[in-house]
Amino acid sequence: MPKFKPHRQSYRIDMTPLVDVAFLLLTFFMLTTTFKPSEEVTIVLPASHSDFKLPETNVMTINISKDGRIFLGVDSQLLRRKLFGTANELKPSVEVPKDKLANYLVQARSSNMNLVTVIKGDKESEYGVTEDVMDILQQTRITRFNLVTELAR
Amino acid sequence: MAGGDVAESKKKGRGKKRKQGRRLGIRIDMTPLVDVAFLLLTFFMYTTSMSRPQTMEINLPPDKSVLVETSELNLMMIRVNDKGTIYWNMGMEPPQKIEFNALRAFLLEKASSNSKLTVLLKIDRQGKYNTMVNLIDELNLARISRFSIAPLNDTDKAVLAKAQA
Repeated sequence: MPKFKPHRQSYRIDMTPLVDVAFLLLTFFMLTTTFKPSEEVTIVLPASHSDFKLPETNVMTINISKDGRIFLGVDSQLLRRKLFGTANELKPSVEVPKDKLANYLVQARSSNMNLVTVIKGDKESEYGVTEDVMDILQQTRITRFNLVTELAR
Repeated sequence: MAGGDVAESKKKGRGKKRKQGRRLGIRIDMTPLVDVAFLLLTFFMYTTSMSRPQTMEINLPPDKSVLVETSELNLMMIRVNDKGTIYWNMGMEPPQKIEFNALRAFLLEKASSNSKLTVLLKIDRQGKYNTMVNLIDELNLARISRFSIAPLNDTDKAVLAKAQA
């Protein structure tokens, strides 16, 4: 007589530890995530094969938008207050006319010797603006600077 | 399966004597809660890794105050007009057109044949910033470490116009 054992036993897995770990991880990431500051102007970066990483602090960014406007930004809020006033201290970068740029650059550098200058230009922007910015950098004796790009595959 | 699932209570017609302390077995199905928790977790895991700075840089130390003497034989001039067409010439030769795709192999060949090669880069002001970045990228890939940038003036434009003809 064939033994027909009805295999109908339901096994209940207790998922409590799994959910605990999931919530712990979630809490960890919620607390440690820092959001990127929203930019004043959208800049589409050109691509390059260079993979140097920018330092996290002491970075002064000269943003060049697609239509040739120049926005100056520094990562320290105190320095932003000093350069642009309390009204603008929360903005990540502030529009600067070309003739005032040299002035701001000198002020920023005199407050912080270790500032790394970085040009973040839109790929479709006119090259002439970048040439002028590089001339201004030369006048203010900033001889080392970097261009921000995204990694080309 | 959603919502609360009240275990079967006693039949209603039983009678009024119900003990207060009687516990009803209520089982709450926590599946949606755990789904949301995992979704949030995945979101934060993903966005945290994106916030790490993915910026890269091309390192340039420009220093026009120092005049570097190079022989004409070692100097290559690369000129780019506002349309993005690339012209190259060695020393005082007339410029020749070259496609961007062919540039990498060309530069590698020139760099390997001449270790003292210096490149002078001139890009039209009306050209795109992307052109400069691409050219510097190619120079870096070809390991040409000596290059400088100069403005494309009217004489250059005349030379290019003549070469186009």
